[in-house]
Amino acid sequence: MSTEKQPLRRKLDKLFIPLTVGPTLLWIAAIIVYPTVKLIINSFQFRNPVTNEMEFVGLRNFERLLFAREGANAAFGGFSQEFVAITRNTIVYVGFSVTISFVLGLGIALLLHKDLKGRSWFRTAVIVPWILPYVMSGLMWRWMFQADFGAINGALQQMGVISGNIPFLSNGALAMAALIVADVWVFTPFIVIILLAGLQNVPEQLYDAAEVDGASRWSRFWNVTYPFLKPSIMVALTIRIIFDLRALDLVWVMTGGGPGKATEVWASWLYRTAQVFNSPGPGAALGVVLLVVTFAIVATLYKIFGESPYEA
Amino acid sequence: MSTKKSRLDRLRRSLGLETDNEWPSVVRERLGAYVLLSVYLVVIWFPIYYIFITSIKPSAEVLSLPITFIPRDPTIGNYVDIFTNRPFDNYTINSVIIATTTTVICVTLGTLTGYSFSRYDFMGNKTLLLSIVGARMIPPIALIVPFFQIMSSPPLIGGITGSLYDTRLALILTYTFFNLPFAVWIMKNYFDGVPESLDEQARIDGCSRWEAFFKIILPMAKPGIAATAILAFIFSWNEFVFALVLTSSETAQTLPIAVSLFVADDFVDWAHLAAGGMIAAVPGILFGLFFQQYIVSGLTQGAVKE
Repeated sequence: MSTEKQPLRRKLDKLFIPLTVGPTLLWIAAIIVYPTVKLIINSFQFRNPVTNEMEFVGLRNFERLLFAREGANAAFGGFSQEFVAITRNTIVYVGFSVTISFVLGLGIALLLHKDLKGRSWFRTAVIVPWILPYVMSGLMWRWMFQADFGAINGALQQMGVISGNIPFLSNGALAMAALIVADVWVFTPFIVIILLAGLQNVPEQLYDAAEVDGASRWSRFWNVTYPFLKPSIMVALTIRIIFDLRALDLVWVMTGGGPGKATEVWASWLYRTAQVFNSPGPGAALGVVLLVVTFAIVATLYKIFGESPYEA
Repeated sequence: MSTKKSRLDRLRRSLGLETDNEWPSVVRERLGAYVLLSVYLVVIWFPIYYIFITSIKPSAEVLSLPITFIPRDPTIGNYVDIFTNRPFDNYTINSVIIATTTTVICVTLGTLTGYSFSRYDFMGNKTLLLSIVGARMIPPIALIVPFFQIMSSPPLIGGITGSLYDTRLALILTYTFFNLPFAVWIMKNYFDGVPESLDEQARIDGCSRWEAFFKIILPMAKPGIAATAILAFIFSWNEFVFALVLTSSETAQTLPIAVSLFVADDFVDWAHLAAGGMIAAVPGILFGLFFQQYIVSGLTQGAVKE
């Protein structure tokens, strides 16, 4: 093949990288960089109710949302009670959900890693809750926990465990527990998948060696499995924490943040602030805070484990 | 086989079992695993069963006591109702168009870009890849306000298209934001696993970069593409928050929104909601049952779900 006959071909070849990478970069820049910049600008603005114009207000949005204006409202450090309460709810929700689904997911992954017949069938059945629409899962659990005709009250009553109905979703603590149950139900499969992949990295011979040495089951897990599983654990936990922090779907359809503000978390607070009060400024300010918190969590986990969740 | 046997023997000895007749602990352990897994599955599948039986009960039975766990009077009426009395055909079409288009865009761009990142060293490629992947770290919910503003009056193209609010296009554009970085990442990892010598051989044989990519590498990347496509489709199909903010009528609303619309302030139409929920759940259940291995392989190559 003579080369001078194909000038176009060679030109196209030279353009291979710009043509394959360029469109994606432009697309992502347009759809992520621009909104992010707009978010930051918005966070310093407030819509004047009279003129309907956006006015620059400096840090006032942040101040109004996070700090108490009067002493009576103040919690520790001058933060507003609302902010402290919602942050506490978020920590309870994320903390319990992630811990329970992690422990459960690890157990299921260890079971599924065994050389069982029908393992792939089990894996399929385990995975499904995670790929259903979250909204549907949230409503499904709301229906399960429904006071009069829900399955949980129904089953407990028919088994004679309780005599009256338990109003799961209209009691603050119970509503939070119900949310956690739904969250664990949805996200345990995700932990299972990630940990199963990690388990495949554990060399089988090491188990045999450990057995010969008479290592106990616990010491086999701790000394053989765990070191190889660590990167996957890191990935699973990081993604779980970050996504729980920002996910609105389940909370919104199950409790809407209620009763009262008992299950209001960061994501629902942000949505309510931005949407219900139709105020782009304060909503954006919360968005910025969430952005900063997310990056702080990622950076902290990265520092502790020394590995990016995307490189494991 | 022999190693398995000796392993079993060792185990037997370590447990102090002398004869072959005793039930080996391996078997006992497996039985235990089956029991535990089965209990877990029954518990996690029960809610899905409950929403399914609710969807085939007449409304009166749904709100009657005691609760029936096997429907007395099964019917497909709820399904018929949501397609005749509510625009579920529109919602379904919207969901299909939006999820499919998003998937095609993300797979096309993600495959090309992922390949270049996997094969070529170019200016700032590491930084660029890191920023693309890092874009996934931005909490989408933080961006609902700017997205709403941008879709209501799009910059640059606003004069031509007018508002994108309540259009399928708005959701397609938005969902590429979730899925494109993720597609690039999966495909890059996937191509990393395809030997580079294949491209080199093709180039020596006189193929251009494009030909080497399309004729040799792309056909080998089918499993990676399948994984990316399935996950991108499911993520777009299931998305709720942006659809809630960016649409307001059946011209663009998707199934997750349609399902949530059954919840009125103090009354929920559970029978019809359950039917709508089952419709929305169909792709998830089908993909889960038939393409589970692709989902697992896609995710374990470093992907993230929103």
